[in-house]
Amino acid sequence: MLARSAEGLYWLGRHIERTEDLCRLLREQMGALVDRPVREINFGWRRIYDTLHRRPPGPAVGVAESDDDYALADSYTLADDVTFERANPGSVLNSFSNGRENARQMRHCISGEMWTCLNLAWLRLGTRRIEDIWKAAPESYYAELAREMNLFAGVVDTTLYRDDGWRFLQLGRLVERAQFTIALLLAHLEGVGANPEAGDREWASLLWICQAFDTYKGRYGVEIRPARVLDLLVEDPRLPRSLCTAIDAAAATLGALALGPGPCGAARRCAGDLASNVNQPWPSAPSLPDRAARLRRLDGDCRALHDLVMAAHVGYDTDGAPVR
Amino acid sequence: MDFSDYRLEAEFYDEVLRPDGTPRPHCRTLHDALAETSAAELGEVQERVTRSFLNEGITFTVYGDGEADERIIPIDCLPRILAAAEWRELEAGLAQRILALNRFLCDVYGECRAISDGVIPEEMVRGCPQYRSEMRGVSPPHGTWVAICGTDVVRTNDGFIVLEDNLRVPSGVSYMIANRKAVKSSLRRLYRRCRVREVEHYGNLLLATLRELAPPNRPDPCIALLTPGVWNAAFYEHMFLARELGAELVEGRDLLTRNGFVYMRTTEGLRRVDVIYRRVDDDFLDPQVFRSDSLLGVPGLLQAHRLGNVTLANAPGTGVADDKSVYAWVPDLIRYYLSEEPILANVPTRICRRPEDLEYTLDNLDSLIVKRVGEAGGYGMLVGPRATPAEREAYAAAMRANPADFISQEILSLSRAPCLIDGRLEPRHVDLRPFVLRGRETRIVPGAFCRVALRRGSLVVNSSQGGGGKDVWVLES
Repeated sequence: MLARSAEGLYWLGRHIERTEDLCRLLREQMGALVDRPVREINFGWRRIYDTLHRRPPGPAVGVAESDDDYALADSYTLADDVTFERANPGSVLNSFSNGRENARQMRHCISGEMWTCLNLAWLRLGTRRIEDIWKAAPESYYAELAREMNLFAGVVDTTLYRDDGWRFLQLGRLVERAQFTIALLLAHLEGVGANPEAGDREWASLLWICQAFDTYKGRYGVEIRPARVLDLLVEDPRLPRSLCTAIDAAAATLGALALGPGPCGAARRCAGDLASNVNQPWPSAPSLPDRAARLRRLDGDCRALHDLVMAAHVGYDTDGAPVR
Repeated sequence: MDFSDYRLEAEFYDEVLRPDGTPRPHCRTLHDALAETSAAELGEVQERVTRSFLNEGITFTVYGDGEADERIIPIDCLPRILAAAEWRELEAGLAQRILALNRFLCDVYGECRAISDGVIPEEMVRGCPQYRSEMRGVSPPHGTWVAICGTDVVRTNDGFIVLEDNLRVPSGVSYMIANRKAVKSSLRRLYRRCRVREVEHYGNLLLATLRELAPPNRPDPCIALLTPGVWNAAFYEHMFLARELGAELVEGRDLLTRNGFVYMRTTEGLRRVDVIYRRVDDDFLDPQVFRSDSLLGVPGLLQAHRLGNVTLANAPGTGVADDKSVYAWVPDLIRYYLSEEPILANVPTRICRRPEDLEYTLDNLDSLIVKRVGEAGGYGMLVGPRATPAEREAYAAAMRANPADFISQEILSLSRAPCLIDGRLEPRHVDLRPFVLRGRETRIVPGAFCRVALRRGSLVVNSSQGGGGKDVWVLES
């Protein structure tokens, strides 16, 4: 397929996944605003901003931790910044808008149902602003948008022809999911390390964000243990959103792509290394810093994988490229 | 809804009603259906049609101040209906015209017989800004220079008249199909009762046409549609057509030339391209030949075309045949190349490069339409009776300075069709843009994009200037 179309589909996958991931992150935070102490709310905001590698606007989060009103007012600003701020390239709205724009430009490569699904969601939710969602129940906005993104994924599954176009879209989703999950876990571990008061609540909210709370409870009971949480979120291949599930699927998808003229071998090796590293058994019970160190290595490999996929199939040098 | 408040004027042919207010025979079903429909019901139909365009994202984007504004072309839900016999006349006239214009293009870039035989003055051809000397000696497959044509036709009390031939990159065909889908599903019973001919197979006909134009020995040609990019106002149409064709939608940066062949960058390497349906203007096609600052084109593309290794549809240089001045000679060209009388009439046109025509135009500026030959889209046009004295004076000065840039025409009394305006039926001026395809043979879908001047009294149907659209129903019998 046309290299630029493949790139567009790959980014469509990434932007839609990012939109959904952000919505889950923010829905959990909006829920916390209702009944959680300011300390937990601030922990949540820090985790969000660290996940996004972004600095919050205005004073650093938590300056007025004892002032409940200030925390709530601050949350309004922060939610606006992360959700609607046009100057924030990683905001929910920009991710959604970029995904729709990718779809608009690639409408000839996707199913009509996919476009309609995304466009209707955009017409309904794409013009909202912070003041529209804040007074009622802001979490319902994020829940609704996340549902639309889930619906879109379902429409992709049921309507898109399984050729390389579909594979590039899937690859984008999976690489984005892996990078987001790593960023979230690293932000969480950093927050927990810096905050001795952080406990079960914070770990439980992490499970909620990753849609894994019920699974955790069913498997381990109500007692929250950080090692078990991380085992589930990183290494359990049965959890749809676990890191290893995303990486294994990305490696398999890449392996099924037709060979490109660029460094295809290196891309496939990188994906293979990622898959074996994320699944590698620990020699002994790892500490949280050990886990963080492995996550950081995986993060670097994910970024390298993105670059290699683009170099192999999109940005290759045409001089030596094969002619068909 | 009834026509009790509907103002008929003898000057304007009405597409639905006869001068006595009774429906034309082929419009009786529509007329009766409207009589059984309340204003509120029709309003709902209109709302559904408009909504379907938004939901489907059939939009064009206006960019400004960093903001992107997505708009839809306003579509009136009431179809314009053409009787089978009317369509037969149009179809024959359009087929005749595209054949003659292709012969003309073969001739002006070849032997120039029409010039040497005195049919058309040499300066009209060579002096035309759209004449591309680089195309001399090129012979595209089947002598087809114009593969896709969108002819603008209007109707007056005297019948159909061709307003202009759009032979470069005519647009609007996606709206013909989108209008049909939206209106048909909103007026289901009426559509079924009327027995309307289909237009949705246009993509198949276009594909067949483009395949016929592939270079020799390419039995399974690779077809691509070349778009200026997502910023272009017609991008929706480009995407739509690429989808209909099953073709790749490419930009200039996706293509490269090597040894006289054109390739596109795919995920698996370079793939040869055989036919390019280009929606990029001549000037921007190849920076090595035309505008050197073009970022939209492909260096070496014209050479590949000249060598016959890739077919460009339409070929560069076709603009010489739809130039507003050359237009005046089309009836003569039909007679010359086909030895037939033109089936469709032209608007009587005065060429201001002729001193007597310039003088007449200047003397009658308040009653004529004056057009700049290089402009399109309804821009650069003076509608004499509507212009202020100052505007007429400024125009006259420009004409005296560069008479060759202008033509003038009598103002036509464009036909009108009923539209739903503010809950009432009101007449609005309409035109018709049928799409004609020419590969080895001529193909025409029975339909058209009907443009409507939605502003009361306006004659300008261009969407860029307040125009809208209507579905066109060609009846089976």
